[in-house]
Amino acid sequence: MSVSLLLIPLALVLLAAAVGAFFWAVDNDQFEDLDTVANNLLDDADPEQ
Amino acid sequence: MRQQAAAHLHWQSARGLEQAEFFAEGMHCANCAQSIRTHVGALPGVQHVEVNLTTARVNVAWNPATQRLSALLEEVQRLGFKPVPLTGAAADTARKAERRAMLKRIGLSGLVAMQMSMYTVGLYAGAISGIEPWLARLLRVTSMLLAVPVLFYSGSPFLKGAWHDLRRRSLGMDVPVAAALLLAFGASVFNTFRDSGQVYFDSVAMFVFFLLVGRFVEMNVRRGSLDAGEALVRSLPARVTRLLAAGGSERVALDQVAAGDRLLVAQGAVVPVDGVLAAESALIDESLITGESVPVTRAPGASLPGGAINLGAPCTLIASHSARDSTLATMVALIERAQSERPPQALAADRAASHFVLWIVVLAVLVAAAWLWIDPARAFEATLAVLVVTCPCALSLATPVALAAATSRLTRRGVLITRANALERLATITTVVLDKTGTLTNQGVQLGAVQYFGAGDPQRSLALAASLEQHSTHPLAVAIAAATGERVALTGVQETRGRGLEGQCEGARWRIGQRDFVAELTSGGTSSDDERVWLGSTAGFAAAFELVDSLRPDAAEAVARLLAQGLELRIASGDRQATVQRIAAELGITQAAGRLDPAAKLALIRTLQQRGQRVLMIGDGINDAPVLAAADVSGAMGGGAAIAHAAADLLLMNESLSAVAVAVDTARGTARLVSANLRWALAYNICAVPLAAVGLVPPWLAALGMSASSLFVVWRAHRYARSPT
Repeated sequence: MSVSLLLIPLALVLLAAAVGAFFWAVDNDQFEDLDTVANNLLDDADPEQ
Repeated sequence: MRQQAAAHLHWQSARGLEQAEFFAEGMHCANCAQSIRTHVGALPGVQHVEVNLTTARVNVAWNPATQRLSALLEEVQRLGFKPVPLTGAAADTARKAERRAMLKRIGLSGLVAMQMSMYTVGLYAGAISGIEPWLARLLRVTSMLLAVPVLFYSGSPFLKGAWHDLRRRSLGMDVPVAAALLLAFGASVFNTFRDSGQVYFDSVAMFVFFLLVGRFVEMNVRRGSLDAGEALVRSLPARVTRLLAAGGSERVALDQVAAGDRLLVAQGAVVPVDGVLAAESALIDESLITGESVPVTRAPGASLPGGAINLGAPCTLIASHSARDSTLATMVALIERAQSERPPQALAADRAASHFVLWIVVLAVLVAAAWLWIDPARAFEATLAVLVVTCPCALSLATPVALAAATSRLTRRGVLITRANALERLATITTVVLDKTGTLTNQGVQLGAVQYFGAGDPQRSLALAASLEQHSTHPLAVAIAAATGERVALTGVQETRGRGLEGQCEGARWRIGQRDFVAELTSGGTSSDDERVWLGSTAGFAAAFELVDSLRPDAAEAVARLLAQGLELRIASGDRQATVQRIAAELGITQAAGRLDPAAKLALIRTLQQRGQRVLMIGDGINDAPVLAAADVSGAMGGGAAIAHAAADLLLMNESLSAVAVAVDTARGTARLVSANLRWALAYNICAVPLAAVGLVPPWLAALGMSASSLFVVWRAHRYARSPT
């Protein structure tokens, strides 16, 4: 069971990474507008041209 | 603070008072609203405070001589709410920040709750099959460390809310929540350190997570679909293109547009203010204003309401009102007035909810005492479950969300509710009294069959009639004058009000009007045929004009629908009895009274009310004002800028009678929704509390139940607001 001594801190590190990633996403407008982006695919006007 | 104060919607109101309106961030329950009402209302110089729980808006009026806005805002802040401006960039930033903070809290609590449930599984498995003591201790200590940010970061809104509640000596719904969280956390910390007994860190995390999700959804629904007024304002462009007299154009802010300005409305753009089409005809979608979804073609010279969408080619609009005075601004003001009033239904629910919290606390103490006596080991869990599972929020939310949903649903169908309690009253009506002209029929009448007498030339008779009638503004006169473009020369035209006109033509005296009025001149028979307009000279009658008013296209359908709803229909009109009877027969309405002046209409409504009937009166809103005011509920055919003067509870923006049936349906549906929501909230609490009290509900399930019950109430209202009519 001593492997837990490694696994539990490892899990905490992963958790911290997940929370950090989520906070980053929130701060970078990833959840601000979920509809427009999905519809962009159907928009004929191509921004590249 | 001063600068911040300037950003709030702030204006000089009547009687030397100043008024301001802002969002109070952090308002979740009836108690929060109540505390703002009492504490801010108690400050010196404050004349009135309106707090709208559904939209979290506060409207204060104060005397500038004895009070300052900054002091008021400080008081709101001291009570634990954050005043946020209503509109503009500052409001958007504040809302965005609140949303982000909420998302982060949810994310953290959710991720940690998942992680912790793993440890809990380990601990449970260990309790059954044996676990090394150091490992159990490691799992508990790790859980404890993880619970700290969840409780004090993610759970901070509940802790802060409860703290503010206690400081102002009231019991909000945050109090039992915070008590449960702190109890569970404290007991678990205690057990962790003494190394025995249960730990509830996972329950704490899950409870915080569920509650936050509930609040988040509630916040979105509140801000999204329910704020009908804001959707209208948002549709307006911030800047418009103004055409210069010298040629060319400039971009100006919407506020700077004045009456008389020529504006260019691009294809697909929103008509920014009320105005008249200049030169071209245009294809216009007025659905935002009237709820009518079929676009219409408007001819040059036609007036367009601000908020309509130009679907066709770009057109030029001559502004007839500034943005502040346009239809849209008036609609928003009416909606906001309705929303800032608290209907009696909602007030009753508020009171019930605030008593409820007190009972929960008392009950929790009783449950704790009982379990300590029966089985002290289980006392803690049962008390916790009782505190958590009960949900006063479902009770206090049930009414306001349903009413807001109905308002938004009706606004989309072109019915504007201008009074908060109108829906409640509308749901109980038994009788609909309809005015005829302008309500059942179109505003104008048209010339129907004409009977000519004697040897006179028909064309000349008509021209003579039109020439006489053009001197009058009576609706019948206008119709005859419009029937032909030909005119003859007349001298000495005089109008006898209510009877007709007289004039000289080529030496002969001519009269047009009621038969007996003309008969005085012709010395012919004076039968009481009052249906037609007669023309005659000293030589005898020349013609009789029949005038017909055309029914609104949807009148028959609307009447059928209202009758199907079990309502009694009556027509009360100032028009001639025979005309009223004809219209009534056409529509299948049995009770129709003509020749009623406003006093007689009023008497009719009073009589109906004395018989125990509840009356909805539909009129044109301006001439019928006293009659409308006497009815239990009043509706006016709205449209145009005249809506501001209409003293009615409902405004039918699309001038469609079908909307009346829709409004009645919606009012009844809302009443059902409110009572179903209240019943549901009550049933949930009645079932959940005893189960929790006898110890059958584990704390995490209690947390789930509480969040789900308030979400359910909000979701039903939301679904109702979106459902087709």
